[in-house]
Amino acid sequence: MSDKFERELRDYLHKEAARTPQFPRSLRSRIVDGVAPQTRGRIASQLALAGGLVLVAVVALGLRNSTVVINSVHSAIQAVLPTPSPNPTPSLPAFSCTPVSGGTTGLSTGLNSVRSARHDGYDRVVFQFASGIPSYDVVGQDSSTFIKDASGQPVSLDGTAGVKVILRSTDAAASSQDSQPKLQAVRQVAQVGNFEHQLTYGVSLGTATCFRVTDLSNPARLVIDFDTSKPSATASLAPKPAPTSPPSSAPSSLTPFTCTDLSGGTASSPPAQLTAIRIAHQAAGYDRIVFEFAGGPVPSYTLTRQASTHFVKDASGQPVTLQGSSGLKLVFHGAAGYPTYTGSTDQKPGLPVVQEVEQIGDFEGVLSWGIGLSQQSCMRTLELTGPTRLVIDVQTP
Amino acid sequence: MDPVLGRTIERWRDGDRNAFQEVVDRYGLKVLRTARLILRDEALAEDATQDTFLKAWRQIGSLRDEEPGPWLNRIATNEAISTYRRRHRFQALAERFGRLSGSKRNVPTEARMDLARALDQLKPDQRAAIALHYYQDLSVEDAARALGIPVDTMKSRLKTALRRLRELTGSEEEIA
Repeated sequence: MSDKFERELRDYLHKEAARTPQFPRSLRSRIVDGVAPQTRGRIASQLALAGGLVLVAVVALGLRNSTVVINSVHSAIQAVLPTPSPNPTPSLPAFSCTPVSGGTTGLSTGLNSVRSARHDGYDRVVFQFASGIPSYDVVGQDSSTFIKDASGQPVSLDGTAGVKVILRSTDAAASSQDSQPKLQAVRQVAQVGNFEHQLTYGVSLGTATCFRVTDLSNPARLVIDFDTSKPSATASLAPKPAPTSPPSSAPSSLTPFTCTDLSGGTASSPPAQLTAIRIAHQAAGYDRIVFEFAGGPVPSYTLTRQASTHFVKDASGQPVTLQGSSGLKLVFHGAAGYPTYTGSTDQKPGLPVVQEVEQIGDFEGVLSWGIGLSQQSCMRTLELTGPTRLVIDVQTP
Repeated sequence: MDPVLGRTIERWRDGDRNAFQEVVDRYGLKVLRTARLILRDEALAEDATQDTFLKAWRQIGSLRDEEPGPWLNRIATNEAISTYRRRHRFQALAERFGRLSGSKRNVPTEARMDLARALDQLKPDQRAAIALHYYQDLSVEDAARALGIPVDTMKSRLKTALRRLRELTGSEEEIA
Protein backbone atom coordinates (compact mmCIF):
# COMPACT_ATOMS: atom_id res chain seq x y z
CA MET A 1 0.00 0.00 0.00
CA SER A 2 1.44 3.38 -0.91
CA ASP A 3 2.08 5.89 1.83
CA LYS A 4 1.91 9.67 1.78
CA PHE A 5 5.40 10.01 0.35
CA GLU A 6 4.64 7.67 -2.54
CA ARG A 7 1.45 9.60 -3.29
CA GLU A 8 3.43 12.82 -3.28
CA LEU A 9 5.98 11.25 -5.59
CA ARG A 10 3.27 10.05 -7.97
CA ASP A 11 1.66 13.51 -8.01
CA TYR A 12 4.99 15.16 -8.58
CA LEU A 13 5.88 12.88 -11.52
CA HIS A 14 2.52 13.47 -13.17
CA LYS A 15 2.87 17.23 -12.75
CA GLU A 16 6.37 17.19 -14.12
CA ALA A 17 5.28 15.04 -17.06
CA ALA A 18 2.46 17.49 -17.75
CA ARG A 19 5.06 20.18 -18.31
CA THR A 20 5.47 18.55 -21.71
CA PRO A 21 1.89 19.21 -22.84
CA GLN A 22 2.14 17.83 -26.34
CA PHE A 23 4.41 15.93 -28.66
CA PRO A 24 6.55 18.51 -30.50
CA ARG A 25 5.78 18.66 -34.21
CA SER A 26 9.45 19.17 -34.98
CA LEU A 27 10.32 15.94 -33.19
CA ARG A 28 7.57 14.08 -35.04
CA SER A 29 8.99 15.33 -38.34
CA ARG A 30 12.51 14.36 -37.32
CA ILE A 31 11.36 10.84 -36.56
CA VAL A 32 9.14 10.28 -39.58
CA ASP A 33 11.62 11.90 -41.99
CA GLY A 34 14.37 9.77 -40.50
CA VAL A 35 12.98 6.43 -41.60
CA ALA A 36 13.79 4.92 -44.96
CA PRO A 37 10.81 4.46 -47.28
CA GLN A 38 11.54 0.73 -47.72
CA THR A 39 11.73 -2.00 -45.16
CA ARG A 40 13.56 -5.26 -45.23
CA GLY A 41 10.22 -7.03 -45.44
CA ARG A 42 9.25 -5.24 -48.62
CA ILE A 43 12.67 -5.68 -50.18
CA ALA A 44 12.56 -9.34 -49.22
CA SER A 45 9.21 -9.80 -50.93
CA GLN A 46 10.53 -8.04 -54.03
CA LEU A 47 13.58 -10.29 -54.03
CA ALA A 48 11.26 -13.30 -53.78
CA LEU A 49 9.27 -11.99 -56.72
CA ALA A 50 12.47 -11.40 -58.67
CA GLY A 51 13.58 -14.92 -57.88
CA GLY A 52 10.28 -16.25 -59.15
CA LEU A 53 10.68 -14.36 -62.40
CA VAL A 54 14.19 -15.71 -62.74
CA LEU A 55 12.83 -19.24 -62.52
CA VAL A 56 10.12 -18.45 -65.06
CA ALA A 57 12.74 -17.01 -67.40
CA VAL A 58 14.91 -20.07 -67.03
CA VAL A 59 12.06 -22.43 -67.70
CA ALA A 60 10.76 -20.42 -70.66
CA LEU A 61 14.06 -20.05 -72.43
CA GLY A 62 15.65 -23.28 -71.38
CA LEU A 63 19.33 -23.57 -71.94
CA ARG A 64 19.22 -22.68 -75.66
CA ASN A 65 21.20 -19.53 -75.32
CA SER A 66 22.89 -18.68 -72.08
CA THR A 67 23.33 -15.00 -73.04
CA VAL A 68 19.60 -14.63 -73.60
CA VAL A 69 18.94 -16.27 -70.26
CA ILE A 70 21.31 -13.98 -68.42
CA ASN A 71 19.87 -10.89 -70.11
CA SER A 72 16.34 -11.98 -69.28
CA VAL A 73 17.28 -12.58 -65.68
CA HIS A 74 18.96 -9.19 -65.50
CA SER A 75 15.95 -7.45 -67.03
CA ALA A 76 13.55 -9.24 -64.71
CA ILE A 77 15.48 -8.21 -61.64
CA GLN A 78 15.84 -4.63 -62.90
CA ALA A 79 12.11 -4.44 -63.54
CA VAL A 80 11.19 -5.53 -60.03
CA LEU A 81 13.83 -4.18 -57.71
CA PRO A 82 13.68 -0.53 -56.75
CA THR A 83 16.26 1.82 -58.18
CA PRO A 84 19.35 1.51 -56.04
CA SER A 85 19.76 4.32 -53.58
CA PRO A 86 22.64 6.68 -54.17
CA ASN A 87 26.01 5.71 -52.80
CA PRO A 88 25.95 6.69 -49.12
CA THR A 89 29.51 7.97 -49.32
CA PRO A 90 29.20 11.72 -49.64
CA SER A 91 30.53 13.12 -52.88
CA LEU A 92 33.16 15.71 -52.18
CA PRO A 93 32.24 19.29 -53.02
CA ALA A 94 34.45 21.41 -55.23
CA PHE A 95 37.15 23.57 -53.71
CA SER A 96 36.05 27.13 -53.15
CA CYS A 97 37.39 30.27 -51.50
CA THR A 98 34.03 31.37 -50.09
CA PRO A 99 32.84 30.95 -46.48
CA VAL A 100 30.95 27.77 -45.63
CA SER A 101 28.39 27.28 -42.85
CA GLY A 102 26.67 24.13 -41.73
CA GLY A 103 26.11 21.70 -38.88
CA THR A 104 23.08 21.40 -36.64
CA THR A 105 21.85 24.58 -35.00
CA GLY A 106 21.26 24.11 -31.29
CA LEU A 107 23.18 20.85 -31.08
CA SER A 108 25.47 20.82 -28.07
CA THR A 109 28.53 18.62 -28.28
CA GLY A 110 32.16 18.21 -27.33
CA LEU A 111 35.23 18.46 -29.49
CA ASN A 112 37.23 15.28 -29.01
CA SER A 113 40.19 15.79 -31.27
CA VAL A 114 41.74 17.92 -34.01
CA ARG A 115 43.99 16.25 -36.57
CA SER A 116 45.71 17.26 -39.76
CA ALA A 117 47.45 15.29 -42.48
CA ARG A 118 48.73 15.59 -46.01
CA HIS A 119 46.90 13.76 -48.81
CA ASP A 120 47.40 13.54 -52.52
CA GLY A 121 46.17 16.89 -53.79
CA TYR A 122 45.04 18.36 -50.52
CA ASP A 123 45.88 18.91 -46.85
CA ARG A 124 43.14 17.74 -44.49
CA VAL A 125 42.18 19.10 -41.07
CA VAL A 126 39.63 17.06 -39.12
CA PHE A 127 37.58 18.16 -36.12
CA GLN A 128 36.05 15.13 -34.40
CA PHE A 129 33.07 15.51 -32.06
CA ALA A 130 31.54 13.47 -29.29
CA SER A 131 28.05 13.51 -30.80
CA GLY A 132 26.93 15.22 -33.97
CA ILE A 133 28.34 18.18 -35.81
CA PRO A 134 27.51 21.52 -34.21
CA SER A 135 26.60 24.68 -36.06
CA TYR A 136 29.80 25.96 -37.67
CA ASP A 137 31.30 28.62 -39.92
CA VAL A 138 34.49 28.21 -41.93
CA VAL A 139 35.67 31.62 -43.08
CA GLY A 140 38.85 32.41 -44.98
CA GLN A 141 41.00 35.48 -44.45
CA ASP A 142 44.01 37.04 -46.14
CA SER A 143 46.07 37.03 -42.97
CA SER A 144 47.34 34.47 -40.49
CA THR A 145 46.54 36.74 -37.53
CA PHE A 146 43.38 35.90 -35.61
CA ILE A 147 41.57 37.88 -32.93
CA LYS A 148 40.97 36.00 -29.68
CA ASP A 149 37.36 35.86 -28.63
CA ALA A 150 36.43 37.85 -25.53
CA SER A 151 39.86 39.35 -24.92
CA GLY A 152 40.23 40.82 -28.41
CA GLN A 153 43.96 40.08 -28.40
CA PRO A 154 45.61 39.27 -31.73
CA VAL A 155 47.20 35.85 -32.23
CA SER A 156 49.68 35.57 -35.07
CA LEU A 157 50.23 32.13 -36.55
CA ASP A 158 52.76 30.94 -39.08
CA GLY A 159 51.84 31.75 -42.71
CA THR A 160 50.31 34.47 -44.83
CA ALA A 161 46.64 33.53 -44.88
CA GLY A 162 44.19 31.59 -42.77
CA VAL A 163 40.81 30.07 -42.18
CA LYS A 164 38.78 30.68 -39.05
CA VAL A 165 36.63 27.77 -37.85
CA ILE A 166 33.82 28.68 -35.46
CA LEU A 167 32.13 25.80 -33.61
CA ARG A 168 29.00 26.81 -31.67
CA SER A 169 27.64 25.09 -28.57
CA THR A 170 30.84 23.10 -28.34
CA ASP A 171 33.04 22.34 -25.37
CA ALA A 172 36.61 21.19 -25.68
CA ALA A 173 36.87 17.80 -23.98
CA ALA A 174 40.62 17.90 -23.71
CA SER A 175 43.46 20.33 -24.31
CA SER A 176 43.27 22.94 -27.04
CA GLN A 177 45.16 20.50 -29.32
CA ASP A 178 47.20 23.15 -31.09
CA SER A 179 49.59 21.78 -33.67
CA GLN A 180 52.13 22.91 -36.23
CA PRO A 181 51.89 20.25 -38.93
CA LYS A 182 53.74 22.41 -41.49
CA LEU A 183 52.10 20.67 -44.42
CA GLN A 184 52.13 21.96 -47.96
CA ALA A 185 49.25 24.36 -47.28
CA VAL A 186 48.38 24.05 -43.59
CA ARG A 187 51.07 25.53 -41.37
CA GLN A 188 49.48 25.73 -37.95
CA VAL A 189 46.20 24.89 -36.19
CA ALA A 190 45.47 26.74 -32.95
CA GLN A 191 42.54 27.40 -30.69
CA VAL A 192 41.91 31.15 -30.73
CA GLY A 193 38.71 31.20 -28.71
CA ASN A 194 36.91 29.23 -26.03
CA PHE A 195 34.16 31.51 -24.92
CA GLU A 196 30.68 30.63 -23.77
CA HIS A 197 30.49 27.20 -25.39
CA GLN A 198 31.88 28.57 -28.62
CA LEU A 199 35.21 27.24 -29.79
CA THR A 200 37.17 29.06 -32.44
CA TYR A 201 40.16 27.62 -34.25
CA GLY A 202 42.55 29.37 -36.56
CA VAL A 203 44.13 27.37 -39.39
CA SER A 204 47.05 29.27 -40.85
CA LEU A 205 48.13 28.70 -44.44
CA GLY A 206 51.44 29.21 -46.26
CA THR A 207 49.57 30.98 -49.05
CA ALA A 208 45.88 31.69 -49.65
CA THR A 209 44.39 28.29 -50.51
CA CYS A 210 40.83 27.40 -51.43
CA PHE A 211 39.09 24.72 -49.40
CA ARG A 212 36.12 22.38 -49.27
CA VAL A 213 34.14 21.34 -46.21
CA THR A 214 32.54 17.93 -45.64
CA ASP A 215 30.46 16.61 -42.76
CA LEU A 216 31.07 12.95 -41.92
CA SER A 217 29.36 10.68 -39.41
CA ASN A 218 30.36 7.68 -37.26
CA PRO A 219 32.16 9.37 -35.66
CA ALA A 220 30.93 12.89 -36.25
CA ARG A 221 33.62 14.87 -38.06
CA LEU A 222 33.97 18.21 -39.74
CA VAL A 223 36.56 17.79 -42.47
CA ILE A 224 38.26 20.72 -44.17
CA ASP A 225 40.44 19.98 -47.20
CA PHE A 226 42.84 22.61 -48.54
CA ASP A 227 43.58 22.39 -52.24
CA THR A 228 47.26 21.72 -52.92
CA SER A 229 46.81 20.51 -56.50
CA LYS A 230 47.33 23.88 -58.12
CA PRO A 231 49.11 27.10 -57.26
CA SER A 232 46.85 29.67 -55.71
CA ALA A 233 48.98 32.76 -55.70
CA THR A 234 46.08 34.85 -56.92
CA ALA A 235 43.46 33.37 -54.60
CA SER A 236 41.94 35.59 -51.98
CA LEU A 237 40.23 34.08 -48.99
CA ALA A 238 38.74 37.24 -47.55
CA PRO A 239 34.94 37.05 -47.86
CA LYS A 240 33.75 39.63 -50.38
CA PRO A 241 30.08 40.20 -49.65
CA ALA A 242 28.90 40.69 -46.10
CA PRO A 243 27.62 37.40 -44.68
CA THR A 244 23.86 37.03 -44.75
CA SER A 245 23.79 35.98 -41.12
CA PRO A 246 26.03 36.99 -38.26
CA PRO A 247 28.88 34.50 -38.15
CA SER A 248 29.05 34.51 -34.39
CA SER A 249 27.00 35.52 -31.42
CA ALA A 250 30.13 36.52 -29.55
CA PRO A 251 30.28 40.24 -29.02
CA SER A 252 32.57 41.95 -31.49
CA SER A 253 33.03 44.87 -29.13
CA LEU A 254 32.23 44.95 -25.46
CA THR A 255 30.15 47.75 -24.03
CA PRO A 256 31.83 50.04 -21.47
CA PHE A 257 31.39 49.48 -17.75
CA THR A 258 28.84 51.67 -16.02
CA CYS A 259 28.21 52.43 -12.35
CA THR A 260 24.41 52.63 -12.63
CA ASP A 261 21.61 50.12 -12.39
CA LEU A 262 20.98 48.20 -15.61
CA SER A 263 17.99 46.60 -17.26
CA GLY A 264 17.18 44.91 -20.54
CA GLY A 265 15.91 41.70 -22.07
CA THR A 266 12.62 40.96 -23.76
CA ALA A 267 9.25 40.13 -22.25
CA SER A 268 9.01 36.36 -22.40
CA SER A 269 5.99 34.10 -22.41
CA PRO A 270 6.04 31.24 -21.50
CA PRO A 271 8.78 31.78 -18.93
CA ALA A 272 12.34 31.38 -20.16
CA GLN A 273 13.96 28.40 -18.48
CA LEU A 274 17.29 28.88 -16.76
CA THR A 275 19.65 25.98 -17.50
CA ALA A 276 23.07 26.97 -16.19
CA ILE A 277 25.07 29.55 -14.29
CA ARG A 278 28.80 30.00 -14.71
CA ILE A 279 31.07 32.30 -12.75
CA ALA A 280 34.71 33.01 -13.50
CA HIS A 281 37.33 35.70 -13.29
CA GLN A 282 38.61 37.06 -16.60
CA ALA A 283 42.19 38.25 -16.89
CA ALA A 284 41.02 41.35 -18.75
CA GLY A 285 39.90 42.81 -15.42
CA TYR A 286 36.44 41.61 -14.54
CA ASP A 287 34.48 38.81 -12.88
CA ARG A 288 31.92 37.28 -15.21
CA ILE A 289 28.60 35.69 -14.29
CA VAL A 290 26.65 33.97 -17.05
CA PHE A 291 23.00 33.02 -16.82
CA GLU A 292 22.10 30.60 -19.61
CA PHE A 293 18.54 29.90 -20.77
CA ALA A 294 17.01 27.08 -22.76
CA GLY A 295 16.00 29.26 -25.70
CA GLY A 296 14.26 32.39 -26.92
CA PRO A 297 15.51 35.85 -26.11
CA VAL A 298 17.06 36.87 -22.79
CA PRO A 299 14.06 37.49 -20.53
CA SER A 300 13.31 40.95 -19.18
CA TYR A 301 15.67 41.74 -16.30
CA THR A 302 16.77 44.43 -13.85
CA LEU A 303 20.17 44.54 -12.19
CA THR A 304 20.10 46.80 -9.15
CA ARG A 305 23.04 47.82 -6.99
CA GLN A 306 22.72 47.96 -3.21
CA ALA A 307 25.02 49.00 -0.37
CA SER A 308 24.66 45.77 1.60
CA THR A 309 24.55 42.03 1.04
CA HIS A 310 21.20 41.64 2.80
CA PHE A 311 18.43 40.22 0.64
CA VAL A 312 14.92 38.99 1.36
CA LYS A 313 13.91 35.65 -0.09
CA ASP A 314 10.83 35.77 -2.32
CA ALA A 315 7.78 33.91 -1.12
CA SER A 316 9.16 32.99 2.31
CA GLY A 317 10.23 36.54 3.25
CA GLN A 318 13.24 35.13 5.08
CA PRO A 319 16.29 37.44 5.28
CA VAL A 320 19.55 36.17 3.84
CA THR A 321 23.00 37.72 4.06
CA LEU A 322 25.61 36.91 1.45
CA GLN A 323 29.37 37.15 1.68
CA GLY A 324 30.87 40.54 0.84
CA SER A 325 30.10 44.15 1.64
CA SER A 326 27.78 45.26 -1.16
CA GLY A 327 25.42 43.56 -3.49
CA LEU A 328 23.61 43.30 -6.78
CA LYS A 329 20.06 42.09 -7.13
CA LEU A 330 19.20 40.47 -10.43
CA VAL A 331 15.52 39.97 -11.15
CA PHE A 332 14.24 38.23 -14.28
CA HIS A 333 10.57 38.63 -15.17
CA GLY A 334 9.09 35.81 -17.21
CA ALA A 335 11.75 33.31 -16.22
CA ALA A 336 12.04 30.21 -14.07
CA GLY A 337 14.81 28.00 -12.79
CA TYR A 338 12.62 25.05 -11.93
CA PRO A 339 12.90 22.33 -13.21
CA THR A 340 15.64 22.99 -15.77
CA TYR A 341 18.29 24.50 -13.55
CA THR A 342 19.90 21.71 -11.55
CA GLY A 343 23.08 23.40 -10.43
CA SER A 344 23.82 24.92 -7.07
CA THR A 345 21.51 27.68 -5.85
CA ASP A 346 24.25 29.09 -3.64
CA GLN A 347 27.71 29.44 -5.14
CA LYS A 348 30.71 30.98 -3.40
CA PRO A 349 33.30 31.38 -6.14
CA GLY A 350 35.57 33.62 -4.05
CA LEU A 351 36.63 35.76 -7.01
CA PRO A 352 38.29 39.17 -6.63
CA VAL A 353 34.90 40.92 -6.44
CA VAL A 354 32.11 38.34 -6.83
CA GLN A 355 31.97 36.51 -3.52
CA GLU A 356 28.64 34.72 -3.53
CA VAL A 357 25.72 34.15 -5.93
CA GLU A 358 22.53 32.81 -4.39
CA GLN A 359 19.03 32.28 -5.68
CA ILE A 360 16.60 34.31 -3.63
CA GLY A 361 13.42 33.52 -5.49
CA ASP A 362 11.85 31.35 -8.21
CA PHE A 363 8.17 31.95 -7.95
CA GLU A 364 5.38 32.68 -10.43
CA GLY A 365 7.67 33.52 -13.32
CA VAL A 366 9.93 35.83 -11.31
CA LEU A 367 13.45 34.54 -10.88
CA SER A 368 15.73 36.46 -8.49
CA TRP A 369 19.37 36.07 -7.62
CA GLY A 370 21.46 37.99 -5.12
CA ILE A 371 25.13 38.67 -5.78
CA GLY A 372 27.50 39.49 -2.92
CA LEU A 373 30.48 41.69 -3.86
CA SER A 374 33.68 42.42 -1.95
CA GLN A 375 33.34 46.08 -2.96
CA GLN A 376 31.05 48.30 -4.99
CA SER A 377 32.00 47.93 -8.63
CA CYS A 378 30.92 49.09 -12.02
CA MET A 379 29.42 46.55 -14.38
CA ARG A 380 28.10 45.83 -17.84
CA THR A 381 25.69 43.31 -19.30
CA LEU A 382 25.70 41.45 -22.60
CA GLU A 383 22.80 39.60 -24.14
CA LEU A 384 23.99 36.70 -26.27
CA THR A 385 22.26 34.09 -28.39
CA GLY A 386 23.03 30.52 -29.42
CA PRO A 387 22.59 29.61 -26.56
CA THR A 388 20.64 32.39 -24.91
CA ARG A 389 22.72 34.05 -22.20
CA LEU A 390 22.81 37.10 -20.03
CA VAL A 391 26.42 37.92 -19.21
CA ILE A 392 27.20 40.20 -16.27
CA ASP A 393 30.73 41.53 -16.02
CA VAL A 394 31.71 43.10 -12.71
CA GLN A 395 34.84 45.22 -12.87
CA THR A 396 37.73 44.13 -10.66
CA PRO A 397 40.46 46.39 -9.20
CA MET B 1 -5.17 -5.99 -29.32
CA ASP B 2 -7.45 -3.27 -30.68
CA PRO B 3 -8.20 -4.44 -34.27
CA VAL B 4 -7.66 -0.95 -35.69
CA LEU B 5 -4.25 -0.80 -34.02
CA GLY B 6 -3.56 -4.34 -35.24
CA ARG B 7 -4.18 -3.26 -38.84
CA THR B 8 -1.94 -0.22 -38.33
CA ILE B 9 0.85 -2.47 -37.12
CA GLU B 10 0.41 -4.74 -40.13
CA ARG B 11 0.69 -1.75 -42.45
CA TRP B 12 3.79 -0.67 -40.55
CA ARG B 13 5.28 -4.14 -41.05
CA ASP B 14 4.72 -3.64 -44.77
CA GLY B 15 6.78 -0.46 -44.64
CA ASP B 16 3.89 2.02 -44.61
CA ARG B 17 5.29 5.24 -43.17
CA ASN B 18 1.82 6.65 -42.56
CA ALA B 19 1.09 3.71 -40.28
CA PHE B 20 4.37 4.31 -38.48
CA GLN B 21 3.42 7.97 -38.09
CA GLU B 22 0.12 6.91 -36.50
CA VAL B 23 2.06 4.87 -33.95
CA VAL B 24 4.37 7.82 -33.25
CA ASP B 25 1.30 10.02 -32.71
CA ARG B 26 -0.28 7.47 -30.41
CA TYR B 27 2.70 6.67 -28.18
CA GLY B 28 5.11 9.57 -28.76
CA LEU B 29 4.06 11.81 -25.90
CA LYS B 30 4.18 9.02 -23.34
CA VAL B 31 7.61 7.92 -24.53
CA LEU B 32 8.88 11.51 -24.48
CA ARG B 33 7.54 12.20 -21.00
CA THR B 34 9.01 8.98 -19.62
CA ALA B 35 12.39 9.73 -21.21
CA ARG B 36 12.28 13.21 -19.72
CA LEU B 37 11.61 11.82 -16.25
CA ILE B 38 14.57 9.49 -16.61
CA LEU B 39 16.97 11.93 -18.24
CA ARG B 40 15.85 15.16 -16.49
CA ASP B 41 16.67 17.04 -19.69
CA GLU B 42 14.30 18.06 -22.46
CA ALA B 43 16.76 17.97 -25.35
CA LEU B 44 18.24 14.63 -24.34
CA ALA B 45 14.73 13.23 -23.89
CA GLU B 46 13.84 14.28 -27.44
CA ASP B 47 16.99 12.59 -28.75
CA ALA B 48 16.19 9.41 -26.84
CA THR B 49 12.61 9.48 -28.15
CA GLN B 50 13.83 9.90 -31.71
CA ASP B 51 16.28 7.01 -31.29
CA THR B 52 13.51 4.91 -29.76
CA PHE B 53 11.20 5.23 -32.73
CA LEU B 54 13.96 4.87 -35.30
CA LYS B 55 15.07 1.69 -33.59
CA ALA B 56 11.46 0.52 -33.45
CA TRP B 57 11.10 1.16 -37.19
CA ARG B 58 14.17 -0.96 -37.90
CA GLN B 59 13.20 -3.71 -35.47
CA ILE B 60 9.50 -4.06 -36.23
CA GLY B 61 10.19 -7.72 -36.95
CA SER B 62 10.85 -8.29 -33.25
CA LEU B 63 7.34 -7.13 -32.29
CA ARG B 64 5.24 -10.22 -31.85
CA ASP B 65 1.47 -10.26 -31.96
CA GLU B 66 1.19 -7.93 -28.99
CA GLU B 67 0.39 -4.35 -28.00
CA PRO B 68 3.29 -2.17 -29.15
CA GLY B 69 3.13 -0.05 -25.95
CA PRO B 70 5.21 -2.31 -23.67
CA TRP B 71 7.59 -3.11 -26.53
CA LEU B 72 8.16 0.62 -27.16
CA ASN B 73 8.51 1.16 -23.41
CA ARG B 74 11.27 -1.40 -23.33
CA ILE B 75 13.16 0.28 -26.16
CA ALA B 76 12.55 3.76 -24.74
CA THR B 77 13.79 3.05 -21.22
CA ASN B 78 16.90 1.33 -22.59
CA GLU B 79 17.54 4.24 -24.93
CA ALA B 80 17.07 6.80 -22.15
CA ILE B 81 19.44 4.97 -19.81
CA SER B 82 22.03 4.56 -22.59
CA THR B 83 21.69 8.22 -23.53
CA TYR B 84 22.25 9.24 -19.92
CA ARG B 85 25.31 7.03 -19.61
CA ARG B 86 26.81 8.28 -22.87
CA ARG B 87 26.27 11.86 -21.76
CA HIS B 88 27.59 11.13 -18.29
CA ARG B 89 30.74 9.56 -19.69
CA PHE B 90 31.50 12.65 -21.75
CA GLN B 91 30.81 14.97 -18.83
CA ALA B 92 33.03 12.94 -16.54
CA LEU B 93 35.84 13.14 -19.07
CA ALA B 94 35.36 16.85 -19.55
CA GLU B 95 35.24 17.47 -15.82
CA ARG B 96 38.43 15.50 -15.35
CA PHE B 97 40.13 18.01 -17.60
CA GLY B 98 38.54 20.86 -15.71
CA ARG B 99 36.62 22.22 -18.67
CA LEU B 100 33.14 21.81 -17.30
CA SER B 101 33.85 22.20 -13.64
CA GLY B 102 31.40 25.10 -13.49
CA SER B 103 28.57 22.92 -14.71
CA LYS B 104 29.18 20.13 -12.26
CA ARG B 105 26.08 19.42 -10.28
CA ASN B 106 26.47 20.47 -6.72
CA VAL B 107 24.50 18.72 -4.05
CA PRO B 108 22.61 21.42 -2.16
CA THR B 109 23.70 21.82 1.39
CA GLU B 110 20.18 22.04 2.75
CA ALA B 111 19.23 19.03 4.82
CA ARG B 112 15.98 18.69 2.97
CA MET B 113 15.84 18.76 -0.81
CA ASP B 114 12.75 19.04 -2.92
CA LEU B 115 11.73 16.02 -4.94
CA ALA B 116 13.12 17.42 -8.21
CA ARG B 117 16.62 17.68 -6.85
CA ALA B 118 16.35 14.39 -5.02
CA LEU B 119 15.39 12.64 -8.27
CA ASP B 120 18.46 14.18 -9.91
CA GLN B 121 20.59 12.30 -7.42
CA LEU B 122 19.26 8.86 -8.38
CA LYS B 123 20.90 6.58 -10.90
CA PRO B 124 19.15 6.52 -14.30
CA ASP B 125 18.00 2.93 -13.90
CA GLN B 126 16.46 3.84 -10.54
CA ARG B 127 14.68 6.80 -12.13
CA ALA B 128 13.47 4.47 -14.88
CA ALA B 129 12.00 2.15 -12.26
CA ILE B 130 10.35 5.08 -10.49
CA ALA B 131 8.98 6.53 -13.75
CA LEU B 132 7.50 3.24 -14.92
CA HIS B 133 5.90 2.38 -11.59
CA TYR B 134 4.79 5.78 -10.31
CA TYR B 135 4.25 7.74 -13.51
CA GLN B 136 3.11 5.07 -15.94
CA ASP B 137 1.42 3.19 -13.08
CA LEU B 138 2.81 -0.13 -14.33
CA SER B 139 2.74 -3.02 -11.92
CA VAL B 140 6.08 -4.17 -10.57
CA GLU B 141 5.87 -7.17 -12.90
CA ASP B 142 5.13 -5.09 -16.01
CA ALA B 143 7.80 -2.54 -15.12
CA ALA B 144 10.31 -5.37 -14.66
CA ARG B 145 9.34 -6.70 -18.08
CA ALA B 146 9.82 -3.26 -19.64
CA LEU B 147 13.26 -2.95 -18.11
CA GLY B 148 14.16 -6.53 -18.95
CA ILE B 149 15.04 -7.42 -15.35
CA PRO B 150 13.73 -10.03 -12.90
CA VAL B 151 10.78 -9.01 -10.71
CA ASP B 152 12.87 -9.32 -7.54
CA THR B 153 15.49 -6.98 -8.99
CA MET B 154 12.76 -4.52 -9.85
CA LYS B 155 11.40 -4.68 -6.31
CA SER B 156 14.84 -4.14 -4.85
CA ARG B 157 15.57 -1.26 -7.26
CA LEU B 158 12.31 0.47 -6.37
CA LYS B 159 12.93 -0.02 -2.67
CA THR B 160 16.46 1.39 -2.89
CA ALA B 161 15.31 4.35 -4.96
CA LEU B 162 12.48 5.16 -2.57
CA ARG B 163 14.75 4.89 0.45
CA ARG B 164 17.23 7.27 -1.19
CA LEU B 165 14.48 9.74 -2.07
CA ARG B 166 13.20 9.65 1.49
CA GLU B 167 16.69 10.25 2.84
CA LEU B 168 17.31 13.16 0.52
CA THR B 169 13.98 14.82 1.15
CA GLY B 170 13.94 14.08 4.86
CA SER B 171 10.65 12.18 4.58
CA GLU B 172 9.86 9.59 7.22
CA GLU B 173 8.48 6.21 6.22
CA GLU B 174 4.97 5.71 7.57
CA ILE B 175 4.73 2.88 10.08
CA ALA B 176 1.63 0.92 9.27
